[in-house]
Amino acid sequence: MPQVTEEELGKLFSEQVERLQEGHFLVLYWAALGEGKKVKYNITNLFDDLKAVGITRTKQTVVGIVQGLESLCFVDLREERNRKNIYITRFGAKALEMMVKQKRYTSRKSAFLEAQEK
Amino acid sequence: MTIGIGGAGSKIAAKLDKNAVLINVSEVEMNKVQGGGRRILARVTSEHGQFKGSMKSRQIGNDAYLAMSRELLEMIRGNSVFCSTGGGTGNGIVSGIMTDLSKMDNVPIAEKTFFGIVLPYAKLETNEFVTNTTEFLTGPLTEAIDSGNTGNIVLFSNKRKFEEEIGEDEYNTMLVESLREFLKIPEKNEKNKLLDGHIDQEDFSLFLSKSYFNHFTFFDYDPKEPFEKQLEANYNDLLLPPESPIEAMFLVEVPKGGDATAFYKIINYFDSIQVSPVYSVIENPELQKIRVTVALLYSRKPMELVDDFNKISEDHVHAKVQKSVEQYVKLNTLKVNLEDEAKKVARSRGDVDEDNILETLRRLGKL
Repeated sequence: MPQVTEEELGKLFSEQVERLQEGHFLVLYWAALGEGKKVKYNITNLFDDLKAVGITRTKQTVVGIVQGLESLCFVDLREERNRKNIYITRFGAKALEMMVKQKRYTSRKSAFLEAQEK
Repeated sequence: MTIGIGGAGSKIAAKLDKNAVLINVSEVEMNKVQGGGRRILARVTSEHGQFKGSMKSRQIGNDAYLAMSRELLEMIRGNSVFCSTGGGTGNGIVSGIMTDLSKMDNVPIAEKTFFGIVLPYAKLETNEFVTNTTEFLTGPLTEAIDSGNTGNIVLFSNKRKFEEEIGEDEYNTMLVESLREFLKIPEKNEKNKLLDGHIDQEDFSLFLSKSYFNHFTFFDYDPKEPFEKQLEANYNDLLLPPESPIEAMFLVEVPKGGDATAFYKIINYFDSIQVSPVYSVIENPELQKIRVTVALLYSRKPMELVDDFNKISEDHVHAKVQKSVEQYVKLNTLKVNLEDEAKKVARSRGDVDEDNILETLRRLGKL
């Protein structure tokens, strides 16, 4: 098995985060917000929110965004009571921290999470 | 069993099923409904005695529910419930049902309830109807769908009724006939010659037990034209338009000697959107053209609709607030924390609240 140094792993992680786009950022951001509020955030909620902020109009794209993050181990998808809920992982949290500090994207409101606050 | 709750729900249930159970807070309104079977007067009393109606108040409907919740939750198991979201009785009672269903651990497939819900036409119906509907859509309905404890939910719309100025009775007949067409799928499979696939009563019941919104429609199908275009052109205008389906069912009825392979194009369409439909193809000698009945299950909450409702109800509320302000308002002194206010503005502008989100992640043990 090829040896990968810690430095190379760090570079790989930065490169992965570098390639994330606004949709990926919002998934991590909303998943973290939801978990912080103990609200389950699922793919349907995400579809509604991404559609509302004009990132995409199709569910396939949303599924693609989430699957990309899942492949990178940045989110976990759990099938719970008929819904696929999204949970941010520790790697996802690191990635989100990096993007927040770089001020790469502006956060947008999640209509779903806002509605839960009322 | 079919159960009609409130005036609008009872009228539809009674048309669909001559043995339907009809429930209302108002005895007068209930007695005006023709047909149906058993009638239950939901008792809600105030200090002046039994209410003669729900006064478009969800609260009165909800109080009525509390008085009969045990009986009702038993009654709806594995059955169909019809109501409208505009008035107080249907909205209040069904809100109670849905809230209780959401709290249940797991409802078995055979005990899931099918809901037919009539939504008002926001543009032309009263403010109370719009407000009631908004509260229903964002509250009990969303909770119930998320819990997975309901069966299919069909969202009927009054839009066409108002736009085409159709009488209430005629419109209700249209809703019921349209629903019957969808419900006939297993019966048609049983009675006609099967050419491909099969949908029996069990398959159909399983489909109905899924906790999604159901948009069904039917139309003459031309295999030479793309199915997607024909489907979009033939969405059922008695229902809210659907979102991307998660699951689907279709029945193709082919005239005698017709092309029994036309359904492959429909399968290919669903495959292109990653949906594996339940389907069947039958021969129907009474038809001249191929006919398709399609049901799409989608889980998208009707956010756009709610937004529309919100906008309208806000306008009404703004006008009311403005009137009150002009008449008499006592303003209390507000203590403003500038830091909090700055954060609020930043949040409303959409800026990342850096400290907040990183703090949340630390609290969750993820950083």
